[in-house]
Amino acid sequence: MAPFPIRSGWWILDRRQLSHDILNHIERLRIMHDLAREQDYSVIKKEELLTDLGETIRLLEANLRELAQ
Amino acid sequence: MDKIICLGKNYLEHAYEMKEETPEKPVLFLKPPSVLIEPKDKGSLRLPWERGSIHHECEVVFKLYKKNIIGVGLGLDLTLRDLQKKLKEKGHPWEISKTFKNSAIVTPIKGLRDFPKDWQETPFTLRINGELRQEGRLSEARMRADEIIHYINEFFPLQDGDLVFTGTPKGVGPLHPGDLVELTYGPISHSFRLVDLG
Repeated sequence: MAPFPIRSGWWILDRRQLSHDILNHIERLRIMHDLAREQDYSVIKKEELLTDLGETIRLLEANLRELAQ
Repeated sequence: MDKIICLGKNYLEHAYEMKEETPEKPVLFLKPPSVLIEPKDKGSLRLPWERGSIHHECEVVFKLYKKNIIGVGLGLDLTLRDLQKKLKEKGHPWEISKTFKNSAIVTPIKGLRDFPKDWQETPFTLRINGELRQEGRLSEARMRADEIIHYINEFFPLQDGDLVFTGTPKGVGPLHPGDLVELTYGPISHSFRLVDLG
């Protein structure tokens, strides 16, 4: 029996993609933070920003929970 | 941030000064986020002078969110010109002349509401030691903002937070240790000094 779990290439690639997605969610949150701090709704309207915020937090949690499995 | 997307030869006069063929459309290349630096206003910056001639290329920079421009700054796309010339002569890729530490300099990014409505007509300038070296307007480029986003979206998966360097007008030239660099564009006025810690 192997001393550690043997991971397939697909498993590694899936986790890498998941990690990439999580970091993109965080980057998105950082941009939302900057726009909200500056009260800059000239391009992204406030309602759109708040909708994006809810969706991004939902995806961030889902992806992080999956990564933690 | 995922990546920095750069346009080359977006201003015809720059293509002419380089004495190179002008492609039908601007060329595209990437820089990794690890080479990005936002120097403090009135701060200092170290560059790898030991690697040969370093040229400045002053450019308007966009920040993207959902393929929209949410902020604009001014940047310097630095190039190891001697190395790039050698690589081009051999027909080799020339990324390594563009991707050294601190080779993507950017001022603070300002929201579009801080710019005049006709921000693409607003002049941007680069001064070195008080001397005007480069001046341009994005409206003078072959591709303007919307067209640039459409164009790069054909080739790259755009991510929120990506930066776009939009190409440089004529006047590129060498930098030296001790140079005072001043960048101005609309509400942006930013300066820093290049140092040699060697």
